[in-house]
Amino acid sequence: MVAPPTDAPRANGNTRVIASTQDISAQLAHSLEPVVGRLTHSPLGGYSDAGEPAAEPIAWATIALARFASATASRGASKRAADAAAAGADWLAEHQQRDGSVGVTQSQQRPAWTTAPAVLAWLAVDPTAYAERIVRALWWAVSQKPWTAPKTRTFGHDTSLEGWSWAADTHSWLEPTAYFVRALHDAGWADHPRAVEGVRLLVDRLLPSGGANYGNTIVLGQELLQHVQSSGVVAWALHGTSGETALSPTIRYLQEALAEPTGLASLGWAALGLASNGAADERLAERVIAAADRAAAAEGVYKPALYAAACQALLAALPATNGDNP
Amino acid sequence: MNVLNAIDRRTAMAVGGLAVAGLLAPAAIAALGRRRASVFIAKNQRYDGDLVATIRDGLQATGIDAKQIAGKRVLLKPNMVEPTRQIPHMTTHPAVIVAAAEVFRAWGASVVVGEGPGHVRDTEVALIESGVGEALRDGGLDFSDLNYERTAFRRNRGRFSKLRGLHLPESVVGADLVVSLPKMKTHHWVGATLSMKNLYGVIPGIKYGWPKNVLHHNGIPNTVADINATLPRLVGIVDGIECMEGDGPILGSPKPMGLVAVGTSLPALDATLSRVMGLEPARMQYLAYAARGIGPIADEQIDQHGEDWQTLVDPFEVLEEPHLERLRALGGEQVT
Repeated sequence: MVAPPTDAPRANGNTRVIASTQDISAQLAHSLEPVVGRLTHSPLGGYSDAGEPAAEPIAWATIALARFASATASRGASKRAADAAAAGADWLAEHQQRDGSVGVTQSQQRPAWTTAPAVLAWLAVDPTAYAERIVRALWWAVSQKPWTAPKTRTFGHDTSLEGWSWAADTHSWLEPTAYFVRALHDAGWADHPRAVEGVRLLVDRLLPSGGANYGNTIVLGQELLQHVQSSGVVAWALHGTSGETALSPTIRYLQEALAEPTGLASLGWAALGLASNGAADERLAERVIAAADRAAAAEGVYKPALYAAACQALLAALPATNGDNP
Repeated sequence: MNVLNAIDRRTAMAVGGLAVAGLLAPAAIAALGRRRASVFIAKNQRYDGDLVATIRDGLQATGIDAKQIAGKRVLLKPNMVEPTRQIPHMTTHPAVIVAAAEVFRAWGASVVVGEGPGHVRDTEVALIESGVGEALRDGGLDFSDLNYERTAFRRNRGRFSKLRGLHLPESVVGADLVVSLPKMKTHHWVGATLSMKNLYGVIPGIKYGWPKNVLHHNGIPNTVADINATLPRLVGIVDGIECMEGDGPILGSPKPMGLVAVGTSLPALDATLSRVMGLEPARMQYLAYAARGIGPIADEQIDQHGEDWQTLVDPFEVLEEPHLERLRALGGEQVT
């Protein structure tokens, strides 16, 4: 239970003056540092301070820490971040079931869409050391059979396509499909038929006017609403796939949507989606830098970890200005 | 308490939960024994009006014993399924939430607002877009994100679907009273979404997804009835001031009604408002299920307080779909 969040500042409400790309990179690094410090100290958390450890927050903390460890010039900070990342990867390994899946939380083995972020975390830490776990996880993933149905006039999307569902035996939705598509691609399984169909599904779920929501496009003849987080997730997942050519309207939507206040997780996903598609700019970086205090105050591990990943994606995407770009 | 012994099992587990918890006044308990329920409707309501007085009057008129609320944990559950600034008539207005909180706090309860948005993973977005986050902050109210809390498994006491039980957030199972605070809207699958359907939002996304597709696959009417049968102590306060008609619950058009409605039996409350909307409650499947013991939906079993619903009927537009058109009332209240 938490106090409700404060409104996100509007883009033009940020009082910081960004003088140069070098200054932006420095401020991004400055914004990243305390968040990584916090994750280094406590990588095994959940969605809130009171919540139990959960696979998705730990996976994202692990990814951010592993990236920081390999990028920072500080040997001590690198060692501490690497140790924390290893702790996260090991927690995910300890919670991998015999069938290869990783459940959502410490106490809940199902649903297990969180198997995908676990794979991404293992890939970030040590693909060789976790190779057997990655393979078992991916075999579990491609064995899942979501509910499908012949296409009808009720829904605009193709209900016959197989992606991934949030929970077993239900329909495929955008976010879990995006996570598994990304995991399969990054693990070298991009040519697996399920990965190929997953990409088709994600493209099919893009809204005609750009962007995406939880995974419906048109229902009973009406186009549904766009969401920043879902749009960021799908842009991040389709990068480098055959589906990325369909992303232009979604990129435009994300860039325009960020003129309005949004949640910290949504901002993080927007940054990941835009940066991975070469569409990050200084305005986006300003938004992320302006959210540093919210990231520092956010409960749990999930939002700080996403924020750290967003800072890192922007630092990688914006022109490098110094030798230590964490 | 002899009266309670005469109440059938399902009624006892629904409205009877309030009685067992000592939250109902004696007259309301007696009505419960006669399988009756009370509904209160106020008209000419405004978001800048005295909603505290309206809600307080409604709760007392429908049987809540204010003296018994002191020290109780009250969870207010508004509707924030997919908020956007462009469609404010989709979500429960912050003024109604704050007014309800003020009533219960004045009676000595500890109040928390909780929601698990069905279509939005980033709950912070739902709070920002709806304006509810700002209102709660100004009102000093805490918020529980029901999508991500620890959960407890509870046996499905309705058995209208095949689900053995329901995973429920700790804020829900720990509450002495859950107050459903819906927006009065049409719903393009089930006809209307009111206080019963609004409780989909207590089901945690971390177990059921975004949308809560496990519920859909087990039947929306069935699972609406199951949730309502499983949660023991429920009250409904409906924001019927700026409503939604047409392609609800997300993309419908504004429908100004100026109503606030209150009930200690959610089926009775929703049935009455359905009549106001020009829909026949018995044809809405989840209300038909509810009539099998969760609460009455027949007009003759409902004691009306405040305004008579017959004087308020103003049929809501529904989509021209066969499954919705069959819900239209056929009696004198039907206009379209």
